[in-house]
Amino acid sequence: MDIVSTREELLRHILAGNRQQAMVLLEDWAGRFHWRETIRHLLEPTLDEIGKLWMAEEISLAAGYMAGKIAEDVLLKAAQAEEVVPETLGPVVLGNVEDDYHSLGRKLVAIFLKTSGWKVIDLGNDVPAETFVDVAVKHQAKIIGVSAMMLTTAENILTIRKEIDRRGLTGKIKLAVGGAIFRIRPELVAELGGDGTASSAVDTPRLMAELSGLENT
Amino acid sequence: MNSKERVLLALRQQPQQQRPFTLTLSLYGARLTGCPLTEYYRQPYRYVEGQEAVMALCAPDILFAPFALSLEAEAFGSELIFLPNNPPNVKKPAFRSADEFIEQQAPDIDNHPSLCYFRESTRLLSGKYDGSTPICTLLTAPVDLPAIILGIDQWLETLLFAPDKAAHIMEKTTSHFAAMANALLADGASFIGVPTMFTNPRILYPHLIKEIILPALARSFSMVEGPIVFHHGGNPMASGLSEYASLPHVAGFALDHRDSLTEARAHLGPERLILGNLNGITLARVKSETIMKKVHEILEDRKEDPCFIFATANADIPFATPPELLQAIALAIRNFNTTI
Repeated sequence: MDIVSTREELLRHILAGNRQQAMVLLEDWAGRFHWRETIRHLLEPTLDEIGKLWMAEEISLAAGYMAGKIAEDVLLKAAQAEEVVPETLGPVVLGNVEDDYHSLGRKLVAIFLKTSGWKVIDLGNDVPAETFVDVAVKHQAKIIGVSAMMLTTAENILTIRKEIDRRGLTGKIKLAVGGAIFRIRPELVAELGGDGTASSAVDTPRLMAELSGLENT
Repeated sequence: MNSKERVLLALRQQPQQQRPFTLTLSLYGARLTGCPLTEYYRQPYRYVEGQEAVMALCAPDILFAPFALSLEAEAFGSELIFLPNNPPNVKKPAFRSADEFIEQQAPDIDNHPSLCYFRESTRLLSGKYDGSTPICTLLTAPVDLPAIILGIDQWLETLLFAPDKAAHIMEKTTSHFAAMANALLADGASFIGVPTMFTNPRILYPHLIKEIILPALARSFSMVEGPIVFHHGGNPMASGLSEYASLPHVAGFALDHRDSLTEARAHLGPERLILGNLNGITLARVKSETIMKKVHEILEDRKEDPCFIFATANADIPFATPPELLQAIALAIRNFNTTI
């Protein structure tokens, strides 16, 4: 089967919820072309397609979750085969904004970023603004990725924006924002001082590349 | 004619002189009385004071018992956070795994303070309005309750990869749901509103909805000794209404603001009650002219439909919504000439 047909089949398995069959297909490719190539040429393009379908509201939350689980399985298999995906990009500091405890989106973002070779420092839920900036400075991260589900908690993102600006780090540390509320109210990205957002967890590697200027290199 | 009579006429597809309506003003009562939310969502009498203020403001035909589903999660052990100007939310789910959930006993519906708060609020509201205004008490769907007890990711994980455990969990939540619903009906609730997310193909795979979720929901609903209103749970559902129409004891369907009421009617036939579908959560930030135009569009769309109640869709109407706007909406509905 050629690469295009294989991608289509992988997509079908994800959309049907067939984790096992998806992994059989991926392991078969990895046996022939190694995990790194499988991730680059098979998994990542399929995840891109998932992202487009998500943006068009044509797939379920469960299918997005399934894609994340399969990506996680692949990372684990690659590590077991001593083909660790090199963390050549980043780091990115991730976390849910203060008072926000909806971790699903953030966890998926971390998986998809790692699949694309980003080093991720995940601070978890309910992270104060100072902590985001402290950790970003300590690890020389150029991007903070912050997640919020509801308007009430999303408003706390403004505190991170102010903390970045107060320390004179404007433009040096970019603020990526995401979560359900930004799909409903995209104008909030600018209102809360965000430098960009992604339409879905799958789409975050593109956003991070854009914010770090990699898209033009 | 009082509110209860108007609602009953809609339910029985009989002509009404005035379109019955409700606005989701559970939270808003606290704004009207200035009650701190930590009291409002703990003290039934403070909640009822808020609903009295709602009644004085715009006299809706259906009043809500507390719309605070997180309190049910609290009864199972989840930790809550009280946020300014919003109902409490789940801060930390009760259990980390399906196994932990399965081992745990369901809370005592007669003694757990969070559940007693729902029940006492319902009793007080029902006593206060003495059958003149229907009381809707909202409960979390038994297929959704695990999401606020385990977290959405763990519940998805269980549904996708451990269906036996998911079934076991839903046996527990079904028993809890039926017991709570029947207790609330006995306490004076006129019907049970059930926001439901995991029945929606935007959330879950259609084959799992058909094979696992809908059968579990049907079992739960069949145990309820009173009417249920099936609520969209935050997603459009008109296209799936044929699937939900056969669920037992469902008297009506509360639709998402993105749903077409005409499509919903086509799926349900002429005799099922539909409620909808002004977007309630945007009332604080959309121009009042735009909102009033939408109100008229909805009323016009359902002008000849006797089996319709005007209602706001989605969650609570926000704190920041001007009270004058709510009064204007109520007045527009009352003044609208139906042809039914």
